[in-house]
Parts: sequence; structure tokens; C-alpha cells
Amino acid sequence: MNVELGKNEGTALSWEILQSQTQLCSLYQEQVLYLLVEIRPATAAPGERLPLNLCLVVDRSTSMQGARLEHVKEAAYQIIDGLHDDDALAVVTFNDRANIVLPSQPGASRAYAKAKISTMSASGGTEIFQGMQAGLAEVEKHHNEQVISHMILLTDGQTYGDEEACLAEARLAGVRHIGISAMGIGEDWNDALLDEIAAQSGGVSAYIASPGQVYTFLQERVRGLGSLFAQALTLELQCADGVQVEALFRTSPYLERLTLTGSVANLGILQADAPLAVVLEIGVTHKPPGEHGLLQLELAGNIPSLGRQGDKLQHDVHCTFTSDEPPTEPVPPAMRSALSKATIYRMQEQAWHALDGGDVKGATRRLEMMATRLFDLGEIQLARSAMLEAGRIAQGGAPTAKGRKELKYGTRSLTIASRRKSYD
Amino acid sequence: MIECPSCGRKHRPGTLFCSECGVYLPTGGPLRTEPLPEEELPVSRANPWASEPVEEPSEPTPIPLCIRVVATGRQIQLPATAEVHIGRLDAAHGIFPDLDLSPDGGLEGGVSRHHCKIHQRGSAYLVEDVGSANGTFLDGQRLTPYLPHVLKDGDELQLGRVKLEVIIRE
Repeated sequence: MNVELGKNEGTALSWEILQSQTQLCSLYQEQVLYLLVEIRPATAAPGERLPLNLCLVVDRSTSMQGARLEHVKEAAYQIIDGLHDDDALAVVTFNDRANIVLPSQPGASRAYAKAKISTMSASGGTEIFQGMQAGLAEVEKHHNEQVISHMILLTDGQTYGDEEACLAEARLAGVRHIGISAMGIGEDWNDALLDEIAAQSGGVSAYIASPGQVYTFLQERVRGLGSLFAQALTLELQCADGVQVEALFRTSPYLERLTLTGSVANLGILQADAPLAVVLEIGVTHKPPGEHGLLQLELAGNIPSLGRQGDKLQHDVHCTFTSDEPPTEPVPPAMRSALSKATIYRMQEQAWHALDGGDVKGATRRLEMMATRLFDLGEIQLARSAMLEAGRIAQGGAPTAKGRKELKYGTRSLTIASRRKSYD
Repeated sequence: MIECPSCGRKHRPGTLFCSECGVYLPTGGPLRTEPLPEEELPVSRANPWASEPVEEPSEPTPIPLCIRVVATGRQIQLPATAEVHIGRLDAAHGIFPDLDLSPDGGLEGGVSRHHCKIHQRGSAYLVEDVGSANGTFLDGQRLTPYLPHVLKDGDELQLGRVKLEVIIRE
């Protein structure tokens, strides 16, 4: 195990980097090395949080009628009650077109805002792009580097034909440092699209199984934004020859597969109260005995509360190659725990991938294996869902949309929800 | 190349988790029930011949048998089947015990996937260890594997480190 602490002076970010091994063997053609990067604030954030600049973008298509829309209204009232005087909140609804229910305005009267929200009613179809465009325009009104700008998108349906436009809008938001939280209610929404919207903008996506959970999810999100320490965090990875980053996962505060754009991964925000952890799986090809530099990590981000932009940390990962088999090094418990969860998430991805490719047997086996691992973690509910879906598939049926989403988003929140802290 | 002890898939050196079955490769666990240190388990052995011989009544009367997990307080009414298997669920290997102790810390507690079984003979219940890794204990005494022992109301069963209370109420 190798522990490296961030030591670059004058930055408000700190990190700890753990390696699964510090010694590799020159005898092997190819081997695997893991890194766990834990990022934390180096200094305490100022007591007062930055003003929030929020926009709630709500699907008001016919399917939202009844409990769903009522719960959204209820949740919005609660958010309004929790806002500070200098926070701005806008509410936009959309079906086939967008409607600005509450224009963005800091310090707006709470009673007025609630009265406006109470008028929301459901009808029509779902065109997410319309809502996103109007919502982002509202956020832009009061957007600057001294506020936390964020859009929360709530939908329960599929959008047709405007997916590309939605993603372009999300990319634009990402560039402007406006995060988007995309939340799907019920089963009939496009998880691939919402995941991508969130990833492009540096936000998160979530699955809300029942309308009753809307409040919890929104509250949690707004609380998370309130404790924001750094934003626009990026991790750049420069690999030496014969070294390749094969997989990259964020494992805390929630689990997500990260994608590299060139050599850069967008990490989104760092909360003051929850460390941001990333695991890397790295393939290393044969090298002669001696010490070798494998890759260089560079973390960059903005810390709005301190008025700092482009804070940077750098670290070089080295390994000693030995001509004999090196001694076994203990795996840090934090790394083992993070990897165990990422492994389950991957098994779930592979199961659906196998199923989509027509490999019913492979998908069933993977879901069953995944159930075993979930039982080991004490995640009984999720494990049962996996068994249920495996059974359904094995008998020639299709997996339910509910089960599929439950497993995907359930395994993703393993790092938060796990009742047992460690893997063993 | 290293081989997964559970599914046999080959991986590059340094790999920590099997991508196929999710097993932690350095120990092959947590599928495997790890042996507990000797000093953590009671030492005395139960004498199978000491208990009263079970009479065979002409007509068996079903008596409800309940098991209470001491640590978690979970109480389970056992199904009225001829044999009740107790252990730890492992879906991947098709092991589905009637009473699964995974939610009660079965893995850390050293409960095997096939740990013991309880069966009814006449009006009596008998417990039998089925070759578990860490043993089954009845009132602090280790049972000889595959030898049935009579269970009474209030008995303490211990599977590895996990303690269970037997409740038989007519």
C-alpha cells in the first residue's frame, strides 16, 4: 500500500492517493494496478454558504397528474421554506412547450412563490428540451461565480426526437458551470438520456420509485448543493507508454462510471461534508526491473466560497518492477470496499449488456452472481430484485423496467445506503 | 494469470475482484466461510448418548417451532416441513436455506452455507450439524456433525458465532 497526501502548497483542495501495489513484477506481460483517489477540502469552508441560484424544471405531461405532481408541489413548498433570503428560485413546467411558473428572483415572497406553484396542472406530452431551454435561461439570469447555480429536472416520461438537443443544452450548462440533477419518477423514462444529461453537466441522475420519495430526493439534493465546496472539478490523467486507464469510477458520495474526454474526467462538485472518491483500474504492460513512472494525475477545480479559480494538485504514480515475484501487499480496506461496489455495478451493466445482445444465459448468471454479492453486503432488497429479474429472464420473459432501474440506481447508491460499512 | 477460486475465470496478476462472479480474489471470499479462531468458540463436546431417547408416538402432532436470533432480535417461525435447513444463501451456487442467516451477520459470524438442519421426529425436534466449517453448539457444547440432538424450548443454539434461541410453544 502506498499513501500519498496532497502536498502542493497554497491550494484549498487536498487528496490522498492509495495504490493497490507499489511493486510490480517484470515477469508478467500484463498486470493490473488500482488507484483510489480521495479528495477533500484542505481548509474549512466559510461559515455562511454561497447563495443558491436554483431552477426546478417539472414535467407536467398528463402522466404526472395526481400524486406525482402533488408531491412535487409539496416538495417545492418545503424547499422554498428552507431557502435563504439571497437565494433565487425559478420554477418552469413543460409538456409540449415550456411555461415559466415562477421567474427567477432572489428574495421573492414565499407566499407568492407557493401560490404560483400551486397553480401547476398536468396535461399534454413530454418534450424535455423545451423545459431545459427555458430553465437554463432562468438560471442564467442570476448566474455568476459567486453563486451556486443548479437546475433540477423532474420527469416521468420519454421525450421523442429532441434527445440530441437536450444533450447539447446539458453540455452548454456544463461549460457554464451550471449543474443539472436529472430525476426520473416511476419506470417509464429514458435512463440513458437522463444519465447523460447529468454527466455532461457535472450533475447527478436519480431514480425516484414512488411519488412519496420526491421530497426526500429534492431535499437531499438542495442540501448537497448548500454544502458545495468546489465545483468544475476535473481529473487529468497522463499515462506513460504501456499504461492504460481501463476503468474509472466515482465511488463516493455515490457510485458512477466516469468517462474520459481525451485524458480528462469531469468530476463535478465536491461537498464540504462528503469526500469525493475515484477508483482507477490501470493495465500495465511488461517493464524491465527498476522504478518506473506510470502516470501523472492532475486535479483542478474552482472554490467559489474562497473566490479561487483553477486550484491544482499534481501527483506522479511510480512503481518498482522486480525480477522476482514481489511480496503480497495488503489491500487498503477503503480500496477493497470501493472496488467491491464498483464490481457489483459492473456486473449489473454486463448483465443488461448480455441481455441486449441476446445472451439470456449469460444475463441470468450475472444477475444471480450479483444477487449473491448483494446478499453478502446485506442488501437484501436489492438482492431479491436481482433474483426476481434473473428468474424472469431465465423463463424467457423480459426484465421489468422497474427492476432494471431499481438495480441500476440501487447499486449506484450502495456507497451511501449500505448498512454495513465495509465489504467483510 | 490468476484463477478465480469460485468460477475459474482467468485474470491478469494484480486483479482484485473477479469480473465474472464478483469474488474478492486474494482470499477467494467472501463466498467462503472463514474458520473462526478456536478460542472464540466453546470447547466442550455434547454427548449424543446422554439425551433421553425419543419415543415414537403413534400420531405426530405438529408443534410450532420458532427461532429467535439473539443479536438482532429477529424471530422466525420455521415452516412445517419435515426438514428445515439453516445456513447462508448463495444464489449463484443454488443454495437456498429455509432459514437464511445472511441478514443477521451470518458471513462474519462464520455460518456456513449448509450449516445445520432441524427435523421433527414425533413430537420432538432434532438438530443436526451438516459438516459446517465452524460447528453448531447446543447450550455451549459442540455437536458432533451428522448426529442429531434433541431440542428443547429455551435451548441456545450457536452457529459459528451467531446465537439463536429455540422457542417451542404448544
